[in-house]
Amino acid sequence: MSVSVAAKFARRELRGGLRGFRIFLACVILGVAAIAAVGTLRESVRAGLADQGAALLGGDAEIELTYRFADEAERDWMESVADAVSEIADFRSMARTDEGARELTQVKAVDDAYPLVGEVELSPDIGLEAALAGAGDRPGVVMEPLLLKRLGIEVGDTVRLGDRAFRVMAELVREPDPSRAGFGLGPRTIVAREALDGSGLLSEGSLFSSKYRLDLPPGTDLSALQTRAMEELESSGARWTDARNASPRVEEFVTRLGAFLVLVGLSGLAVGGVGISAALRSYLAGKVQVIATLRSIGADQRTIFLTYFFQVGVLAVLGIIGGLILGVGLPIALGPVISARLPVPAVFAAYPAPMIEAALYSVLSVLIFTLWPLARAREVRAAALYREAAGGRHGWPGWRYVAATLGLLGLLLLAAVLFSGNLRLTLWTASGIIGALALLTLAAMAVQRAARLLRPRAAGHPPLGWALGAIGGPGTTAGPVMLSLGLGLSVLAAVGQIDGNLRQAIAGDLPERAPSFFFVDLQKDQMPWFLDRLDGDPAVSRVDNAPMLRGIIARINDRPARDVAPGHWVVEGDRAVSYAEDLPERTTLVAGDWWDDDYAGPPQLSFAAEEAREMGIGIGDDVTVNILGRDITAPITSLREVDFSSVGMGFVLLMNPSAVEDAPHTFIATVYADTEAAEEAILRDVTDRYPNVTAINVRDALSRVTDLLASLASATSWGAAVTLLTGFLVLIGAAAADARARTYEAAILKTLGATRAQILSSIAQRSLILGVAAGAVALAAGIGGGWAVSRFIMDTPYAVIWPSALAIVAGGVVVTLLAGLAFAWRPLRASPARILRAQE
Amino acid sequence: MSLNDASLALEGNAGLVRILHGITLDVHRGELVGLVGPSGSGKSSLLMLMGGLERATDGTVQALDHDLGKMDEDQLARLRRDNFGVVFQSFHLIPTMTALENVATPLELAGIRDAKARARAELAAVGLADRAGHYPSQLSGGEQQRVALARAAAPRPAIVLADEPTGNLDSATGAGIIDLLFGLRDRHGATLVLVTHDPEIAARCDRVISLRDGRLEAAA
Repeated sequence: MSVSVAAKFARRELRGGLRGFRIFLACVILGVAAIAAVGTLRESVRAGLADQGAALLGGDAEIELTYRFADEAERDWMESVADAVSEIADFRSMARTDEGARELTQVKAVDDAYPLVGEVELSPDIGLEAALAGAGDRPGVVMEPLLLKRLGIEVGDTVRLGDRAFRVMAELVREPDPSRAGFGLGPRTIVAREALDGSGLLSEGSLFSSKYRLDLPPGTDLSALQTRAMEELESSGARWTDARNASPRVEEFVTRLGAFLVLVGLSGLAVGGVGISAALRSYLAGKVQVIATLRSIGADQRTIFLTYFFQVGVLAVLGIIGGLILGVGLPIALGPVISARLPVPAVFAAYPAPMIEAALYSVLSVLIFTLWPLARAREVRAAALYREAAGGRHGWPGWRYVAATLGLLGLLLLAAVLFSGNLRLTLWTASGIIGALALLTLAAMAVQRAARLLRPRAAGHPPLGWALGAIGGPGTTAGPVMLSLGLGLSVLAAVGQIDGNLRQAIAGDLPERAPSFFFVDLQKDQMPWFLDRLDGDPAVSRVDNAPMLRGIIARINDRPARDVAPGHWVVEGDRAVSYAEDLPERTTLVAGDWWDDDYAGPPQLSFAAEEAREMGIGIGDDVTVNILGRDITAPITSLREVDFSSVGMGFVLLMNPSAVEDAPHTFIATVYADTEAAEEAILRDVTDRYPNVTAINVRDALSRVTDLLASLASATSWGAAVTLLTGFLVLIGAAAADARARTYEAAILKTLGATRAQILSSIAQRSLILGVAAGAVALAAGIGGGWAVSRFIMDTPYAVIWPSALAIVAGGVVVTLLAGLAFAWRPLRASPARILRAQE
Repeated sequence: MSLNDASLALEGNAGLVRILHGITLDVHRGELVGLVGPSGSGKSSLLMLMGGLERATDGTVQALDHDLGKMDEDQLARLRRDNFGVVFQSFHLIPTMTALENVATPLELAGIRDAKARARAELAAVGLADRAGHYPSQLSGGEQQRVALARAAAPRPAIVLADEPTGNLDSATGAGIIDLLFGLRDRHGATLVLVTHDPEIAARCDRVISLRDGRLEAAA
């Protein structure tokens, strides 16, 4: 038989319409749509970042310095290569009102040239220059509405930064260069740089970064200029960013989140696969007579296989097209709404990459889940026309199909690894999905067996007996119901467990050990009063303080530090550096020796032990730290245990005092207070006396982290919800496929004397048993998954979050019950005589 | 059992179809009645009317002093549970239950404690003791009909309604089923109304009622 004959048969069968394939199509559409939507969103943000690169950066390129402004030579060089240069300083400070309110804010002190690119949006729209000029004798500031709300002031009111008073001239609606898109500790304030003179802020040693935005002549070779800049500013610790990749961290974050969500989407495709497989089995079961007839008139096994393979192919293509339209169309249609909620720009359009990704995943999934039912269809013999047992083999479909399925699974995994770019995460997710599917398959078999064993014991409870009979007997839908619902619930339960544990780690455990405040920018001459104030406070249980400078590890053993420990957080960006005469309290030396009292020889460095091990360095290695433009090279002479998890004070880099104490610097202090009232009093006293000091409330900072995690969990929950929705569809499909059998069964039972209440009770009990069983497996899988991710990926302690787990399971049971009852009306209403006659 | 001017009309694809017209007849306790007539004459529908499986659109149907037209679905179900046994041409066993479970079902519905033991005895009476654990799909047609007979007889019903019980079976198997059916009726003294095409079977009945085009033709 030829392929064309099979194609002809397939076309004839499809002429009857898509009845019987609705769930098949819906599963493909949803799976493709979810993956395509995530991919489209990811590409849209990438395109937005590329398109808005210069605006986000505030210029074509940016040179950032830490805790100092550029010197004259550096400034001259910048002006020689750029058409225009804008200088801004970025730092944290306390905004205060005369009424005693005080809030942390991220201040951007700008010059006249700001912004080089884009516009600052204000309300009222008075223009930034006019706003910063102020009114009367007071310079102006603009602040984010959230900050004004927290301070309890409005436009026109007075606010203090450091020692100076400012007038709030407008609300800051949007800044073109958010620069820290995603996470910052305080809402933004913009102020003119010269207005800060005499404020006590931006003094020597205080913590700020200066940024120089360059407006470059058209056609400038950014790569060549970057090389030149790094040569010119090599020893200054300057960092270069340009419009080619204006927000590398945001882009990386979006890429990683996108990869993760696509992997969650794959679980939706797996659930959809269960539905596809169940729908195809059900369809093929109804085709046994047709296949037997074709076989009796000479169709060979290959023709039968191809006939139904072509039908599956046509349906898959239709589903993929529908899924792509939905998955790409929806983000584009909702573009304005999504853009308004995104902290980064996005250009919504149809991008080929996510479409190809989604289509490839779904083609492979459809093949994986349809190959076995198709293989069984080809086994149907002509004898099935008069003997049921000839209607196809059950179980193993033959080694060729098993090998093909495993090959396709390998291809799917390979594609997922390549697209996500994260082998470990992909393998974890794949193991999770495959493990959960295997667990659910075993559980479904166990439930069927248990139902058969328990059936005789239900003699006194006929509805329960019928329910157990339907679960354990021939034609049961326990498999697809448990697989689809269970996998959806497992993913959701695991997300709930991971999210809950992370929150608990941050919000639950840490604050007990964490300080109430970090005080930064304390000047040396302010320390005596500061310590005296806290010593006399009975509510203060502990105060730690240390001098703090910021430095960048430039080189290790005379090689660029980033080459020695590529990607390690200690060499990415600037780090706190401190000095100490004696080994600080609660610190353990694990290797080497601490320097002697009054040591005044060449610089020595004590390094955090765990970080040194991760970076592959140790005692005797020379580390060059750039502090305020000056390189200090010191050998590592000791290694210390530093616990960063308690949010207390911990320094990776500690030096002997004579090495750095002459450099301008400030002090940092952590304060552990027992009551909120005491915390408020300390905050008020310290910032009233020293307006230049910035207080960071640890609880607020942790709540920002928790909020960020909440939004991540919410994005993941949306992904998991698609999986659950697909699962629900499969559930509906299984219930619909089962409705005919249940109607027939109900007609016989009515003939034998069963009441409608008994039949309804039986249907409800059947749904409940399956829902509870699927829920129990999901509970185990969710807890297992949550534990594994917490233990091996997040490295946080794990405790079962029972409310979340039980709510998800209860939700699953209710959903199964509703799906079962939704299809109960037909068996209940049907006239038994007509149903039975139709079967004659 | 008493039917008085009972009619049945059903809504079909082509509109309302009148199936039975003004049937009036009485069936006495313990009587063995044969219902005969050509295909489409309304024999099975009349049987369904007698069992409360269809409702008369006109006239009345009374069984065991109950007016079936005035009973709701659940009252009819309970009446069948306590008083009727029904055997179909297509057996109508519940596919998700074993032979034993199928036979035990009406006994369980009636709340009988030793339902399984009695069902096992009924299966033995029809010669299927060794097939108790088999599902319907694992049984031959004759075996399935014997299970259906055992199920109908198990609650010792006052009335047994049998709709062409041999219609799907070969003649030898069919004869065995009829012997079993008549034997059950003789042992338990139930009223039996039997739809059949077979004149030999009809000849074994106390009374034969003939139907044509939904009307009573004659009684012999």
